[in-house]
Amino acid sequence: MLSLTLPLWASASASEPAAPSSAHTLIAALGHPAPAHTAFAEARFMQVLDRPLVVSGELSWLGGDKLQRRVDKPQAETATIADGEVTQERVGKSPRHFSLKRAPQLQVLLDSFVALLSGDAGRLQQAFDVRQTGDIDGAWTLMLTPLDARVAKTIASITVEGNTKESRCMFMQEADGDLTIDLLGVLASRMPAAPTREGLQALCRDTH
Amino acid sequence: MRGRSRGILLVVWLLALAGLGWMVSQRLKISTDLRSFMPAPTTPDQRLLMEQVGDGPGSRLLLLSISGAPDPQLATLSQGLVAALKHDKRYSQVINGNFDLGALDTSLLPYRYLLSPTLDTQPLDQAYLSDQLQQRLDDLSSPAASLLKGLLPRDPTLETLKLAELWAPAKSPEVREGVWFSPQDEALLLVQTVAAGFDPGAQQQAIDGIRQAFHALPGSAGAKLELSGPGYFSVVIGAQTRHQADWIGRVSTIGFVALLLLAYRSFSSLLLSALPIASAGLAGIAALTVAFPDVHGLTLAFGFTLLGVAQEYPIRVLSHRRAGEDAVQSVRALWPLLLTAIASACIAYLAFYASGVNGLKQLAVFTIVGLLVAGFSTRYLLPHLLPRRVRDVADMRWLMRARHVVDRLPRPRWIPVLVAAAIVLMLAIAPGPFWQNNLAALTPLPQDMLLHDARLREALGAPDVRYLLILQAPTEQGVLALSETLQPKVDALVAKHAVDALDLPSRYLPTVALQLARQKKLPDQATLRHALDEALQGMPFRADLFQPFLDDVAVARQLPPLTPARYAQSPLGQRLAATLVQRDGHWLGLGTVSGVHDVTALRALGENTNGTVRLLDLKAASESLVVDYRTRILQALLAAAVLLVLTISFALRSVRRAWHVLAPMTLATFLVLAVERMAGIEISLFHLVALILAGGLGLHYALFFERDTGDPAEQRRTLHATIVCVLSALLVFGMLAWATIPVLRAIGLTVSLGVAFHFCLSILMAPHTHVAED
Repeated sequence: MLSLTLPLWASASASEPAAPSSAHTLIAALGHPAPAHTAFAEARFMQVLDRPLVVSGELSWLGGDKLQRRVDKPQAETATIADGEVTQERVGKSPRHFSLKRAPQLQVLLDSFVALLSGDAGRLQQAFDVRQTGDIDGAWTLMLTPLDARVAKTIASITVEGNTKESRCMFMQEADGDLTIDLLGVLASRMPAAPTREGLQALCRDTH
Repeated sequence: MRGRSRGILLVVWLLALAGLGWMVSQRLKISTDLRSFMPAPTTPDQRLLMEQVGDGPGSRLLLLSISGAPDPQLATLSQGLVAALKHDKRYSQVINGNFDLGALDTSLLPYRYLLSPTLDTQPLDQAYLSDQLQQRLDDLSSPAASLLKGLLPRDPTLETLKLAELWAPAKSPEVREGVWFSPQDEALLLVQTVAAGFDPGAQQQAIDGIRQAFHALPGSAGAKLELSGPGYFSVVIGAQTRHQADWIGRVSTIGFVALLLLAYRSFSSLLLSALPIASAGLAGIAALTVAFPDVHGLTLAFGFTLLGVAQEYPIRVLSHRRAGEDAVQSVRALWPLLLTAIASACIAYLAFYASGVNGLKQLAVFTIVGLLVAGFSTRYLLPHLLPRRVRDVADMRWLMRARHVVDRLPRPRWIPVLVAAAIVLMLAIAPGPFWQNNLAALTPLPQDMLLHDARLREALGAPDVRYLLILQAPTEQGVLALSETLQPKVDALVAKHAVDALDLPSRYLPTVALQLARQKKLPDQATLRHALDEALQGMPFRADLFQPFLDDVAVARQLPPLTPARYAQSPLGQRLAATLVQRDGHWLGLGTVSGVHDVTALRALGENTNGTVRLLDLKAASESLVVDYRTRILQALLAAAVLLVLTISFALRSVRRAWHVLAPMTLATFLVLAVERMAGIEISLFHLVALILAGGLGLHYALFFERDTGDPAEQRRTLHATIVCVLSALLVFGMLAWATIPVLRAIGLTVSLGVAFHFCLSILMAPHTHVAED
């Protein structure tokens, strides 16, 4: 299936860059009123590691520029982004604060997530070059490339895949080759114990 | 004297002046270090204060703000400016918030194990490493992952972050778009110059460099670059003083020339009477170049002002010419009185010399030499050049009427008593403190610039400028050791909120002893590798990932301990160097304090330390400096006053006549003081200087009014000369009173008031002509 879809993707994104209006329609259709919550399961494929790191929990958009990432497994931890500052809380430890500027990964997450959850296409296009394949009636893909050169030095691109009104997966490709894959919503419960890049990609596309 | 010899004398005189001018142009070195006009420090605290004010790192700091454009553009400009200035030799440091202040230089990275307190309580064993690695794994799955991914292989225990936390300033500006911003939406930068803060010449170059770099940046056209800081101030003061002095000088010169033309109706007299003053100025500067290595710019500015007294000498000669009488004869008749006046003025200016302040000493040398040259050239050279035929001013109709009015003025004996009573009353009820002790008030800086500076300083989290904690020990390491033992007490103070932060030197560099102790605790390569392998069991980390960590620990085991000298090449080392000062065979550590809430608790740090730890209150030190300074000037003035009484009594050979001269002068001086106090003015040193100058002028008026020749025509000439003198002094100093620079204004106002009071009182208290004849 992968071999089938990949060429399709490539040709789709190359041949028909999405018209702004259709991206608007799609993103607007994805919007939820705040607060919006979605379960997530995340696998990180990193060069420093032999095998991926897996965590799961809940992502919440609390309105405005406030985003919360709650991890339940393997260890409870909550990260909150508010007013340009990240607060990281872990049980039994004093909270850590750092500026959003120092974590481009989070800046990208904030920009893309808040825009998607609020259905704000304008905001998305302010931060990213947006390319779309498919539309709201079926399977779709949004490929986001950061416009800010400094952010692009760390985060090469973000790809969000979904079906109708539901975002299913998010791929964050870092410039150094590390990849983070988030399974969202109902898909979060289907994270395998030993995920692989290819397996997760297949899972995302498997709408049945 | 015949026409030819007159011509020769004139040529010789002019040649002599040209020679002096050439010598001055070869030797004159103008200094602009404003500290030469500050009082000389006597106590160790005062000396420390002066050093901090001059060469200390704080005084070499320029605070920059960029405003007037949207945030992203300001941030780009800020970054562009840093890039442009970074490799410029004129600046030792350029920062704008886009950096990790805590970041160790790459070359110093292995030192982290000697600098961080971790090893004091925690060996690098298997248990610690597995706990740390587990935490790193958690970190990698958190949003902060990208922050430490790069750090991980080299520093799995995050010592660099611990040091960054330790070194982070207590308060720093908000970072937006990657650079510092003030709450007023200005991008903020800090530039440290290589040049000392009070060297306006070098500071000017540094500031020009910054401005050029800024204007060369694309997009800088709409934005506004503002500077602040001691170096900038010294440049602004220099420029302002020069500008105002030039402006005032031009206007008063024109007025002065017009006045003299009106008074004497003779161009040649006017031009010739400028010769003694020109000689005085050149001779004064020449004397300075011989006596001092360099001459302060302010000395020259004030000096020429004070030389205004000398302008009286040719004026007296011109006014006292009689029709048909040789100028030499007129001068001979005047000379005893003129000599008394010159001697008195010199005595008064001697008080400046006794003040012990280098700038004022120069002023004394300049004015005394100038007065003597002006006086003697007026006596022995000028009269030979003056035209033979002159109009006797005594025949002027208006002068006759004026003299008549003056003669008929009632001169009741109770006038001095009344004036004295008024003075006492005014001084008693005057508002506010009598003396201005604030050193800052002597620095001629506009208030809005000070406010701007205070605002930037606050935004940049610069430490409190008032208090310093001084640690004293025989050696540098001793200071660091003292600092280490003090740290727990300081932590307690910060916890109690007695202060917001207290930055001790050992925060940046532990003692060699402590570093060696930490070094001993580092495991050898084999032990560490074994512990690490054990800790890595069951973890997903790549097997060879931590080789850089093993290498760094191996290097750290062999390192010579970090000393301030070795550290000095890095930005943090410079920060440390700023807090360690060698003095008189011992070392001082300076702890900077921010946000003082409980001074008593802070001062208590010094209890039972035999003075090795003490709190320095810079404001108190500077005020004590000013009080010392004033005491010395007042003592010198007292001595000068006694000398003056003796000189006048001796010259006039009569105590009664001396009283007629000195009483109006003394009363007028105190009257100026009383009136200024009633106006709410606090008396500063510059007011005292101006009072001395006014006193010198007043002495002339009293001396000449007291002189009783019994000849009404001569008395008319005296009145004429005095009126010309008073008007010219009022013109020059009245103009100064308009200056916006506080020092110039203080002098202008004080002298103008003084001249007016001296004139009125010397007329009202002069012995009555008719009484004298009785």
